[in-house]
Amino acid sequence: MAFISLQEVSYTYNGRKEAAVKNITLNIEEGEKIALTGLNGSGKSTLAKLILGLLKPQAGNIVLDGLPLGKYSLVKIGEKIGYVVQNPSQMLFNTSVFNEIAFGLKWKGKGKDEVFHLCKKYLEFFELWHLRDELPFNLSEGQKQLVVICAVLALQPRFLILDEPTKSIDTFRKKRLKDILQEIWRLGTGIMVISHDKEFLTAYGGRRIHMVKGEVVEDAGRYQN
Amino acid sequence: MRVDIRTKLLIVAIFSVLALAYQDPRTLGIILLLNLLTVILFRVPLHIFRGFKGFIYMYAALMVIQSFFVRDGEPLLQLGSIYLLTTDGVLYGISIMLRFFILVGSGLIILNCNTSELILALVKLRIPYEIVFMIQVGIRFIPVFMGELQNIFHGIQLRGVDLRRVYKRKVLKVYVSIFSPVIYSVLQKAEKLSILLELRGFRKSPTRTYYRDISLGKIDYVIMTLSLIITAVLVYAVRH
Repeated sequence: MAFISLQEVSYTYNGRKEAAVKNITLNIEEGEKIALTGLNGSGKSTLAKLILGLLKPQAGNIVLDGLPLGKYSLVKIGEKIGYVVQNPSQMLFNTSVFNEIAFGLKWKGKGKDEVFHLCKKYLEFFELWHLRDELPFNLSEGQKQLVVICAVLALQPRFLILDEPTKSIDTFRKKRLKDILQEIWRLGTGIMVISHDKEFLTAYGGRRIHMVKGEVVEDAGRYQN
Repeated sequence: MRVDIRTKLLIVAIFSVLALAYQDPRTLGIILLLNLLTVILFRVPLHIFRGFKGFIYMYAALMVIQSFFVRDGEPLLQLGSIYLLTTDGVLYGISIMLRFFILVGSGLIILNCNTSELILALVKLRIPYEIVFMIQVGIRFIPVFMGELQNIFHGIQLRGVDLRRVYKRKVLKVYVSIFSPVIYSVLQKAEKLSILLELRGFRKSPTRTYYRDISLGKIDYVIMTLSLIITAVLVYAVRH
């Protein structure tokens, strides 16, 4: 059974005539690596928001891990799918990078020692340990992006959705991000990267789903490594 | 029917002053009725009112709370010597609710207008352009900040905070977390905007021209006169 399954899903924003997502049927397996591509306004982010339950489909069904998506609360969806939005500043709530990583872990009820251990492990993995006491808002956009990905991954979701992760990062950090995603995927976490950065996606690999005007027009392994 | 925005502004000002000046539920009821007629006349989509359904419960609760403080009137519900609900408390609660709906109706008349026309109307009313510009920026960024706030709410929940189950002592902490990125974003946007304004020559010239123009027509003078007459009649009738 697919981890995420979409059956003829459609969504139209209020006041718009054209559907943002049209009749999409898609199966995503656990541990799969996906590149969701398409031009601006092709429905990529809308599709991600539908998968995350942030938008309710007007037609069709979405099943997550064997249960209809409507049965889950946002918190429960967040336990299964990690989501990093286009603008990382919207996901930074704390006064230090360390607290940013610890934020979700504390709310999950983890003990003090375990929180410290996990924060250290993930910050070191992302090469961010030296920034642990910095105010997240003072970091560069690329560093913010990594902090947010690190914070989401520390919650150990089974699947990760990244919306335009390379939007404001330089070539060096793109390569670093690609290596990190590769490593995460190798360890078993499924990943969906929403992007139109061809250079990054070619290096990233994975199943390519291409969208045009709200429809999936191509579902192939073009970017396969 | 094309009505100048200044006519609408006058009507909104009249309704707002009347809503705050009167306390009697019957008078406020008449004002609300006139307000609704105006809203319909200006073709404001009435479904917007549905969004305020939740406030009815809030005012029902307010009525009960009022009764603890408004001791006058006949007790409708009491527990021993404590009045839970009094006639005056109920009337006061109804008045506040009616006032609220009058102000919402007035706000909707303005919200349904073209923003550029509203700005131009304020300039023609001789309000300094700097202040008008601030209002314009405020209106422009409301949907942006609402969208950002919603994204943050979603983000915080996806990171494991169940907002419905947050303990009372942690509520403040969570809301500080939610508003930190919003405040940061406001400051960042304000800084960028000020730089962009300087770069585009804001206030370089003391006079400014406008692409659009607005003018008062016969219908505007008729509506303004009628509004003032109706207001005068209402004020006179309430006094006597």
